[in-house]
Amino acid sequence: MTDMLRAPAEVKYAEELDWLESVDTGPKPFSWRLSPKMVRLFILGSERADGLEREIPQKWFGDRSFVERAIVTLASDRGLLLIGDPGTGKSWLAELLSAAISRNSTLVVQGTAGTTEDHIKYSWNVSMVIAKGQSRQSMIPSPIMTAMENGVIGRFEELTRSTSDVQDALISILSEKYVSIPELEDDNIVFAKPGFSIIATANSRDRGVNDLSSALKRRFNFVRIPVVTNKKSEAEIVRFRTEELLRRHNIELEVPPTLLDVLLQSFADLRAASASATSDDERLESALSTAEQIGVLEDAILHSTFFGAAALSSQTLASSLVGSLARRSPEDLAILNKYWHGVIEPRSKDAGGEWNGFLEGGRQAIATLS
Amino acid sequence: MSGPFDALRTQLLGAAEALAGGPAALPDILSGIVDDVDHALREPLEIFPVCHHSPASAVAMVRRLRELQPKVIYLELCEDLAPLLTELRNCRLPVALQAFASELSGFPVESAPLSVIAPITEASAEYQAISYALETPGVELVLVDRSTDHVFQWQPEVPSSEGTASEEDDLHGDAVGVEIGDLRPRFAELEEHLLHHGRVRHWSEWWDQYVEQPLAGADYDTYRQVMVLIGSLFRRLAPHDSRRFASDEDRERYMWTRIREHLATSGAAPGDCLYVCGAFHAASRLPEVGSAPGTPDFAITPRTGTTWLYGLIPSSQSAIEAQFGLAPGSVSIAGATWQKSLTRTGLKPFQLDGQKGGKKRAAVKLPAPVAATAVEDHLTGYLSGPPALDGLDEEELRGWCVDIVRLARRNGYLASTADAIAVFETSILLAGMRGRARPTPYDFQDAAVTCIEKDAVPGRRDVRRLCEILLGGDRIGQVGYAALPPLARDVYDRLAPLGLNLEQRSIQRALLDLAANPELAACSQLLWMLRYLLPDHAVRPIMGSRKLGEKHIQESWDLDLGRHQRTIIELGYEGVTVEQVLEQRLRRAAWDPKATAATALTAVEDSLLFLHSPRLTDELGARAVELLAAERTVDGAPEVLRRIRRLLAHYRSSAPTLPAWCESFVKTGYAHYCTLLPSAFVADDTGVRQVGAMLGFLFSMESLALSLGCDRAQLEIAVRQSHPESPAKIALLWAARHQLGVLPLADLRATVDDLLGNPLIVPAFPQYVVGFIQSLESVPRLSPFVVETLSKAFARLPDPVLLPWLPSLITTLKDQAAELVPVLTREAGRTFPGTLAGVDAWVAPWNAPPRKARAAAVATAPGAGPAGALLAAHPVTADAVAGLLGCEGEWAAPAAVPEGAAAVALLTAHPETAGAVALLIGA
Repeated sequence: MTDMLRAPAEVKYAEELDWLESVDTGPKPFSWRLSPKMVRLFILGSERADGLEREIPQKWFGDRSFVERAIVTLASDRGLLLIGDPGTGKSWLAELLSAAISRNSTLVVQGTAGTTEDHIKYSWNVSMVIAKGQSRQSMIPSPIMTAMENGVIGRFEELTRSTSDVQDALISILSEKYVSIPELEDDNIVFAKPGFSIIATANSRDRGVNDLSSALKRRFNFVRIPVVTNKKSEAEIVRFRTEELLRRHNIELEVPPTLLDVLLQSFADLRAASASATSDDERLESALSTAEQIGVLEDAILHSTFFGAAALSSQTLASSLVGSLARRSPEDLAILNKYWHGVIEPRSKDAGGEWNGFLEGGRQAIATLS
Repeated sequence: MSGPFDALRTQLLGAAEALAGGPAALPDILSGIVDDVDHALREPLEIFPVCHHSPASAVAMVRRLRELQPKVIYLELCEDLAPLLTELRNCRLPVALQAFASELSGFPVESAPLSVIAPITEASAEYQAISYALETPGVELVLVDRSTDHVFQWQPEVPSSEGTASEEDDLHGDAVGVEIGDLRPRFAELEEHLLHHGRVRHWSEWWDQYVEQPLAGADYDTYRQVMVLIGSLFRRLAPHDSRRFASDEDRERYMWTRIREHLATSGAAPGDCLYVCGAFHAASRLPEVGSAPGTPDFAITPRTGTTWLYGLIPSSQSAIEAQFGLAPGSVSIAGATWQKSLTRTGLKPFQLDGQKGGKKRAAVKLPAPVAATAVEDHLTGYLSGPPALDGLDEEELRGWCVDIVRLARRNGYLASTADAIAVFETSILLAGMRGRARPTPYDFQDAAVTCIEKDAVPGRRDVRRLCEILLGGDRIGQVGYAALPPLARDVYDRLAPLGLNLEQRSIQRALLDLAANPELAACSQLLWMLRYLLPDHAVRPIMGSRKLGEKHIQESWDLDLGRHQRTIIELGYEGVTVEQVLEQRLRRAAWDPKATAATALTAVEDSLLFLHSPRLTDELGARAVELLAAERTVDGAPEVLRRIRRLLAHYRSSAPTLPAWCESFVKTGYAHYCTLLPSAFVADDTGVRQVGAMLGFLFSMESLALSLGCDRAQLEIAVRQSHPESPAKIALLWAARHQLGVLPLADLRATVDDLLGNPLIVPAFPQYVVGFIQSLESVPRLSPFVVETLSKAFARLPDPVLLPWLPSLITTLKDQAAELVPVLTREAGRTFPGTLAGVDAWVAPWNAPPRKARAAAVATAPGAGPAGALLAAHPVTADAVAGLLGCEGEWAAPAAVPEGAAAVALLTAHPETAGAVALLIGA
């Protein structure tokens, strides 16, 4: 147990990575810590057919070919751009990839409207410049530059949130693989070591805000991560992530599978309703992603642990769901009210079980918020 | 029992024991599949297991046919399709053999038409077998599978068409597909398991990696044993209680029964025969299976009375993929692999003489047959090692990479040479990661998508589709002229004067200058018939139309017969010529149980337009009369009126007399509508439009009907019996009574003014107006009054009444624009001033002070004028008429108006005209 609230993947899975490295006999590109096959195995988990002594759990859920394509892209000359809807696990995949390949997933630049070229290249420690003048010591390298110097993977989150001119600073980094520092007279070029590459993520809902230039596009391979619609794998993801969160909070609580079904079903219903709505007012503001489901479940678990009977009930789940999804009043509340009375109520009459408590809890929560 | 497979059996049983935690059935399954292989190989009649769209099967077939040179080939294909096979040589593959039935007997009628297709591609084992058998003298090809009739007998529910396929994939229409060698796990979990552990995405890829490639270079014994093994595995793991499994078993019984029958009648030795069937069936252990005499036979049920018609229709690789649920591109890739393995092995495939498309190959002389060798175990080697795959073919991969970039650029992608390099590198990396030395087409496809596909697809096709096109393209078959049904051939012959290449798969524009080239009129006629029969995109008029009384001097057409060959071929199942099919369709429409007089009249009109067959037209017309007399509702009245008017106009302008059916129709219609009029006025479910149309029929056909012997009294009584309650119909009745002369205009106007003045009735007033508008057609002389009423309504109705009514008025006028709007606008044009200046001084005619009755004197003296003078001078005629009518002759004294007094007065008042005439004639 570390004293970090959320340990990066390379710390969290350090022991597993060490073990994989020790048994890895495959060829490793550049300075990679694991061979591509082992990276895949680390991310997608092992099977009996792999013939390993210990079982490696699956950490990212999705199509195998996405992971394979992502790994080979990093082994090639190009950067990797993971693109997809919010909550589809892009950043998590990026973190796992860099942890497995270079044991360092913390070299991250977060793209925002305020990101400048300094954040991508380097900046100066002003007081040291005043004291000692411009030198490599007074320079503050960006995470990307650090990644270049060390020959590891650098990450750029939400690439399309930053402005186009800032994005284009990546072009030369990705093609020439060096950054020159014109302020210095000598030692003024930082070359990337073998093993350096960039994993960027972009939100497909941001399309059109700051579109990538075609020059940058062709330096990235795009891997599109689709929204998980398969109920089985979604259940798998929710269970996996919740367990992880519970472990982080040191909470011992069982999530009954029937409740998980209720959660998945209600999200599936709401998604279908959102898809068929014609205007934004008839649609929940939330994207209803898998990540949001995890949030709802986590919230319900925490609530029942600290204020409830130390067991997760359908009432708590319902009120947590209403609480998380009702963002706009009255639009979202109206939609939820309609859903509760139009779908949950008949279902509770037909199916009963957890749906009864879910109906009751949701009604109360909606009444409290209205 | 000792055999070549004992060692393997022991080894597998050992494995089953080692996996003690596995299912209890495991030892049975493992030893069972080896037994199945052993059993199949012991059969004296050689069984050749195949899988569909498998180049390895095709290569093995070529090899085996050369070695064995069988005298008889039994093929798993519907037995009644046999006569079609020789027509394959006239076609460009892939094409599909089709059996088609539209007149059903023994099947539910609503499932018509039934259609079964069996696609044939060049890269298939069955095509090799067919070519060998048909091209080698002395070899007999026997199709042994159940007939197409049995396909439907054994399949209770007829699948409905889903209509989701794109146009390119829809070459087969709604047909049920049958194919040789369907080999795929029968339940989803098994397939999922195989895909998961094989680290592949779809079934075709699994098959390619684990069966196709290892078997591509394998010898025949290995091929045969492995295929039976896989067939047996899927058979044993298939759900045995499904209807599909039962039907498969019945097919096996059927096929072997047929084989034994043939062996017995022809006296062929089983050793000279080859039985080509799917691997699934090769592993069958049913008691009815086997060539040994005395094996129990299967009781083959007789076919139903359904008449099946046979033909070839074009198919395509993507249509086959869509029909049989294969991964997109898999059939194309199989085709490319077949070509490649031919080049690599130097094998000469069999080909039908004169086969269109593909490479022309000289007929090869067959070497002497090779004697059979003892059975050895080739399975252990296959099962124990990983699939032996080919090494990297760098040249090929480089070619693909360059081509995909070129193709991507052409489709709007910003791809460059750098991308080609990246695709190359990524393909190799991906293949390495997936444990293959050589990137498969699927690895290449993934790599190309990774490197070239960005956030949006710029053109119509994405990179995945481009890869499919690159790796095989979509071959689209074509049925050659000689293999077409007579109707299709006739169509091509008759369109030949257009000078277009109609076989080309693109839209051809035909320009018909009928004035300069009158001989093209026949083409135009045929095109119109085709347009009628094939309403979708096969032929489309761009300029020109065909209506009664129209004659065009120029037409232009978009012809797309190349891509719609199937529809024309299927038309050929209905008749020998287009005319015959059209005649049948028209008859069917008119004699349909749901047919109405209006549909029969439509058929009459169509027959006049397209067929020029007075006999048929008369029959259809007589049918229309029959239908009209039997009708109990008047829903079709507007349509009947519209059509019979058009037909009457046509006959009046083109023939000296009306045809007998027309006269009979008018007579019947007059009596019929008179009879129904009182109830139609009252019935709630009869709309005002229908009643309007009835009155239209009665009034506008009146003179013709009376001349044919109808009695006006009938109409008068019918109107008198009508007591409508709804305002619109009341207004219609008033119009009718006005037309009959019992309600003068002044009274009508007074009544309407009363209505407008009564606040209790004002909300219903628009309904009255609707009735008057509907009467425009039947009582045209009321149109000034209708305009007047409309104007008054607009002037005096309060907004809360007027505004809600306006939309329905507009939609009514829009619906019936052709009949109502011209009359209304013409009348409005006469009533209202045409210029802005005129508006100021304008007084509505109905508001104007009444003019002095100038001709009152004339009206009071009926006998006045030249006519009176003439009659008075020759009283005999008038007296005779009076006598006939039963009146007494009463002669009033002629009025004392001088002859021509009025004319003289007029001319004196306006002498200019007479002066001008005098000047002109030089007087």
